[in-house]
Amino acid sequence: MYALVDVNNMYVSCERVFKPALHGRPVVVLSNNDGACIARSNEAKDLGVQMAQPWFQVKHLERSAGLIALSANFELYGDMSSRMMSLAAAYAPRQEVYSIDECFLDFEGVPTDLQAVGRDLRHQVLKWTGLPTSVGFGATKTLAKLANHVAKTADRKPGSYPQPLAQVCDFATLAPAELDAVMASTDVGNVWGIGSKTAPKLQDAGIRTVLDLKHADAAALGRRFSVVIEKTVLELQGTRCLDMDDAPLVHQQIMCSRSFGNAVTELPDLVEVTSGFAVRVARRLREQRSVASAVHVFIRTSPHRAQDRQHAPSATMPLPRPTADTRILVVAAVQALRSIYKPGYPYAKAGVMLLELQDDRQEQQASLDLFDAPEQKQPDGRRDLMETIDALNERFGRDAVSIASAAKRSTHTAHASRQHRRSPRYTTRLDEIVTVRA
Amino acid sequence: MLRERSAGPASAPRSRVAISFGSPAAESGATRLDLNEILIRHPQAAFLMRITGSAMREAGIDDGDLALVDRAMDASPGHVVIAIWGDEFLCRRLQRTGNKLCLVATDPDVHEINGCAGDRFEVWGVVTHVIKQVSG
Repeated sequence: MYALVDVNNMYVSCERVFKPALHGRPVVVLSNNDGACIARSNEAKDLGVQMAQPWFQVKHLERSAGLIALSANFELYGDMSSRMMSLAAAYAPRQEVYSIDECFLDFEGVPTDLQAVGRDLRHQVLKWTGLPTSVGFGATKTLAKLANHVAKTADRKPGSYPQPLAQVCDFATLAPAELDAVMASTDVGNVWGIGSKTAPKLQDAGIRTVLDLKHADAAALGRRFSVVIEKTVLELQGTRCLDMDDAPLVHQQIMCSRSFGNAVTELPDLVEVTSGFAVRVARRLREQRSVASAVHVFIRTSPHRAQDRQHAPSATMPLPRPTADTRILVVAAVQALRSIYKPGYPYAKAGVMLLELQDDRQEQQASLDLFDAPEQKQPDGRRDLMETIDALNERFGRDAVSIASAAKRSTHTAHASRQHRRSPRYTTRLDEIVTVRA
Repeated sequence: MLRERSAGPASAPRSRVAISFGSPAAESGATRLDLNEILIRHPQAAFLMRITGSAMREAGIDDGDLALVDRAMDASPGHVVIAIWGDEFLCRRLQRTGNKLCLVATDPDVHEINGCAGDRFEVWGVVTHVIKQVSG
């Protein structure tokens, strides 16, 4: 069995832990340079604010409905994420961190009451970190994702699903007819891997609900659409097509991580691994013509080796502007690593994640900005260089050309972003911690 | 969280010399005392907050002190806690009065918060240590 654990409205929930006044109010978090809404509280969703909606379109709700907008505070979200992830990791033999706010847990070979495990996990994360999560269990990753959607929706909109499925939903506890009923009342667009472009086409073909998709002819859909959909249908039927750490069917975020066969303790080794990860995620970023706004790096000892001293830190480097430049991404990743590394710990896993991806054409538009630092200019020349590196690597094999001594270059990534509404970095800067009245 | 900053380039030659003598700690099997490990029982639940005000002075908590807060612990009567009261964070002692929990300051002139309607509070975490700077 797999579990998918994620934090409800992650960025807003992080903000609320340290600012009680945000509870019960409509809150959105804005992307770099306060452009678009990248996280919404339930109250903001109820006001009709859409995901990725430009801020200027909803700004009037500030006055008319008390909408509160905050600039993204990636250092805070990254630190809270690492707290949540390391708590979740202890619950199962294997964990795959899938994005900044969600992870898969693999309970293969663990004979236990998973519903109770899910409730414990949810309770512990909420008590220790203040972050509310949803937990979904299923026989495949696609089913676990769907169970998570049910858990979250049942909690947010009472009556949408049977109430016992709220917050923690284990499909294995449902009779076949009950599971079919859940699938029949769920729109096909909520299935993992079915994008906003595919869903209407499926609906045209008469496949409207998850149950329709589950009962569809997988091979025929594979021929007509893509192998992705074929695999999705098989996974909905309970046949595993995706293992832990398998590349996700769609790239909504980009991440590269690895567990080490032998523990790694030395910084130079971790710098090498982390740089390699950064080079790979940068290439994937350019392949899909996107740019990223922040780089998140984590390293961790094994939570299953109780005899080891434990250390599971992470750091998030906001970038001065969204970029796909390997050099900038590598430097930021190594900077993040250096800020969290402590000697003497047997690190068992490391990872690099790119946050807040957006289309690189928007970025070109934004780069006409007058306030750019000089080294941030000449985007075209840099794009050419990056494309040349990618082409050489394609021809001569992976990493034939890489970034030498990238780590030694200094950049000023941390403070440059223009974010007028950013909250304090409560957990990563001593001069920004919460002040409490005594 | 407390994070170690990496040494700048200027200190690199010195650390290389140190490495050439080997690591005494590794040989003896001892590890240097680490305040994080001594003070923090639940790393994922540990937070630092800055105290302002003097209503808790008799509990040894002064203006400007750093409070180390543990969210994992269950708060019991007698604990110094961080509580949410209205929209603000308060540092007070949790106390049982009759069958109710309330928040009290050590300064007798400060009103207690009794948890009744209109005066509700919620415990955010337990203060386990207070760090004060005495010189430097």
